[in-house]
Amino acid sequence: MIFNTPLFFLFFSIFILCYGFVFLRNTPRVYLIIVGSLIFYGAWNYKFIPLLVGSGIADYFIAQAIYSASTQAKKKLWVSISLCLNLGILGLFKYADFVLESVAEFLLVFGYQASLPTLSWVLPVGISFYTFQSLSYTIDVYRGEMKPRKGLVHFVAALSFFPQLVAGPILRAKQILPQMHAIALPTWESAKHGILLITVGLIKKTGADLLAIPAQKAFEAQESISTLEMWTGVVAFAGQIYGDFSGYTDMAIGIALLLGFKIPLNFRVPYFAISPVDFWRRWHISLSSWLRDYLYISLGGNRTGNRTRNVFITMLLGGLWHGAAWTFVAWGAFHGAIITATHYLGNLATFKSFNESTSKGIKLFKWALTFYLILIGWVFFRASSIDNAWHILVEMHTLSDVSMGNNALLIFALVTVWTLLTHIMDFYVIKGAEKLEKRPWLFWLLMVVGITLTLFIGEPSDEFIYFQF
Amino acid sequence: MNSSISNSRKIYSKICLGLLALFIAAMGLIHFIVYLHGANASDFLGRVFESKAALPKIVKEEKDLVLMFGSSMTQAGFSPRQFDRLVNAEGKNIKSFNYGFGGLNPFFQDYLSRRIADEFIANDRQLKLAIIEFNPFQTTKTRWAGAIGSIDSYLTILASDEELWEIAKAEPERGALLYNIKYLRRHISAQLITSYYGRGLFPRARRERLEEPKALIDARREAGRELTELFAKEYPDFDDSDWYYPWQGGGTIPEERSARTLEVFKEYYATFQHENMKENYRQNRIASADIEGLNFEPLLIESFIQIVKNFQQFSDKVEVVMLPRGHQWIKYSPEAQARLDATIKQIEAATGITIRNHQLIPEITPEMFSDVTHLARYSGDVAYTNYLVKQYKDQL
Repeated sequence: MIFNTPLFFLFFSIFILCYGFVFLRNTPRVYLIIVGSLIFYGAWNYKFIPLLVGSGIADYFIAQAIYSASTQAKKKLWVSISLCLNLGILGLFKYADFVLESVAEFLLVFGYQASLPTLSWVLPVGISFYTFQSLSYTIDVYRGEMKPRKGLVHFVAALSFFPQLVAGPILRAKQILPQMHAIALPTWESAKHGILLITVGLIKKTGADLLAIPAQKAFEAQESISTLEMWTGVVAFAGQIYGDFSGYTDMAIGIALLLGFKIPLNFRVPYFAISPVDFWRRWHISLSSWLRDYLYISLGGNRTGNRTRNVFITMLLGGLWHGAAWTFVAWGAFHGAIITATHYLGNLATFKSFNESTSKGIKLFKWALTFYLILIGWVFFRASSIDNAWHILVEMHTLSDVSMGNNALLIFALVTVWTLLTHIMDFYVIKGAEKLEKRPWLFWLLMVVGITLTLFIGEPSDEFIYFQF
Repeated sequence: MNSSISNSRKIYSKICLGLLALFIAAMGLIHFIVYLHGANASDFLGRVFESKAALPKIVKEEKDLVLMFGSSMTQAGFSPRQFDRLVNAEGKNIKSFNYGFGGLNPFFQDYLSRRIADEFIANDRQLKLAIIEFNPFQTTKTRWAGAIGSIDSYLTILASDEELWEIAKAEPERGALLYNIKYLRRHISAQLITSYYGRGLFPRARRERLEEPKALIDARREAGRELTELFAKEYPDFDDSDWYYPWQGGGTIPEERSARTLEVFKEYYATFQHENMKENYRQNRIASADIEGLNFEPLLIESFIQIVKNFQQFSDKVEVVMLPRGHQWIKYSPEAQARLDATIKQIEAATGITIRNHQLIPEITPEMFSDVTHLARYSGDVAYTNYLVKQYKDQL
């Protein structure tokens, strides 16, 4: 079930009526959340409900076992079981075929024709999100950062909480579990903010679906296209993936607010970043902070003198988290490389004044360079293969003699303006939402215009991009 | 606890009312904008709406019924009244109807034919003869790609609630979307709006059009203007229907037009015979329907087979024909011909009916076409209808 569909509208209408008027106490509401979330998830594929619930139940009891284990070794054993269980499930569904195919290709290089069996299993929607979320609970308990909370149903409800179940943000148990134990009533102000975020999310998703068209033209072109159209396609994909993913999480946060839950921001105008490091502080914050806290720090972080290695491994695995393909590995490696380069250059005395400069010109240069590098990264992310990515990069950087298609300049302008506009809109939502929400007439007028726009424009779309991760 | 319950109800009343008001206002605004554009489903599928509305009257006709079903080529190429005159002169008791529609591909026609079947079966009525046009270029991938933006809208117009429910059971998300388009958006889907504005904003890359002599264009315009005037004089009671019952969904017949009108028609169609004009039409058909490459869309072929099966449910006899094509201008490549032959075989095997290929019949000459695919009024349509009479009168 996708947020921007009539089916979800129907589902949520029934859900909120039950939630607000029938199930009025905490525990019944928790049960309602579980039932609603399983219906929401089951609408995609009910066969994977046991996997979701099962891994949640297992981690709930493992966390109890870690907490009550008498020795550190036993705690370590239990957390290892949790790691094996969660990463094992993820690996089996998401990476098994990729590994087997890669091994076969590798052997072929040495002349061995190995016909390895593949599983060809359907990837359960949202598995990467709820696995990481569940895993954070057992790791936090192991590290002593939180005590396990009693209440299996609360834990299952937190894990399966439908607004963020299939595409995040990735919530930590310590963020969501306390809220599930004492569900708050939304205030009218928070509800209005929720409605604002839902509207903004819908607008961004609508725009993203339209941007998919020029992006597809560039990335799936059967013949050569003009240089400008290639750039248009890459910028369009940057706008598409941002609108698609951040739009989804805006809606998730907005819906959660209507139910009395607070979910932290997942994006902070990432394309305004002025360095690759800055970008990762703004893009998919819940994943980058998860990777920092549970992977980068576990590897030793900055302390061991292996920062470069740790950054690289973290980004590589971060890339792989997005999908089982070499293009994602390349994307992760590319970001690992540019972050490492940023760190390196940041430490050079030659660049000291450049790094610390507050000049607008230098900031603009840093922004332009960062955005360019991000675009290069998206080429790997979106391309169908490394060869395809290379072909696109070459086409972007050489002047093609293919003539431009109809309205190519106009399309480039629209794509760029829309991508910029979504960022400006987000900037004002982050900075100025309160002011807007205090002006009811303007607020409701803008909401009506926004919703009208999203109901007015439509383009057949294949779900949300991040569902596949 | 009671105060918390009452607070919950209070805040959720406010939230639900806020959301509802927001949704109603947005939907209202959409309907208003659509209204301002004068767009409604009966406008863009007017002929389909009217032909559907005529079905209850058709099934109550006392005469034996013949129905020709197909594309705009059928619409332009079959004259029911001419057909009736000729076969009834041979002692038959026939009333025929033209169910040819421009802009509908077999996917949509399948649903329309189901509605026809519903009406006939519900009234325990049979067609004496169903003539179904198989139009190769209506079943191409290019044609299907051009219809993507209108699929949902047309589907909600042509499918029954039971069929929508079947879709909803199999694909709840799509089912909910279709119900929403049918009942809340009055058949105007967001995709339809987007493709409408998209075409305006990003028109299809224009091919280089060959210049037509200005004198010819002026002559066509002048003849067209005169024909409109003559029509208004000769048919003062015509109600502007797209599918007009007194003409059985077809056009008028030459016998009831004045000598002057027929003369102007000749002059009018003569202006279409210039080779640049033909080439422009040909190129247009290649771009919009892959008319010479014929890369078939399997879904559309399956839909066509289903159309034939739908008619077989309530027809004494079903014939599948391929209408005359302007073969002087449209030439299939060998690969296209091979694909067409294979497709014909596929349809024949699935339906048990041999397709009658009228594409190259000598009765139709090049000047009988208005463009490169459609037959001209009072020459092409008459000649082809006469040909059909010759073919089928003995079976009626």
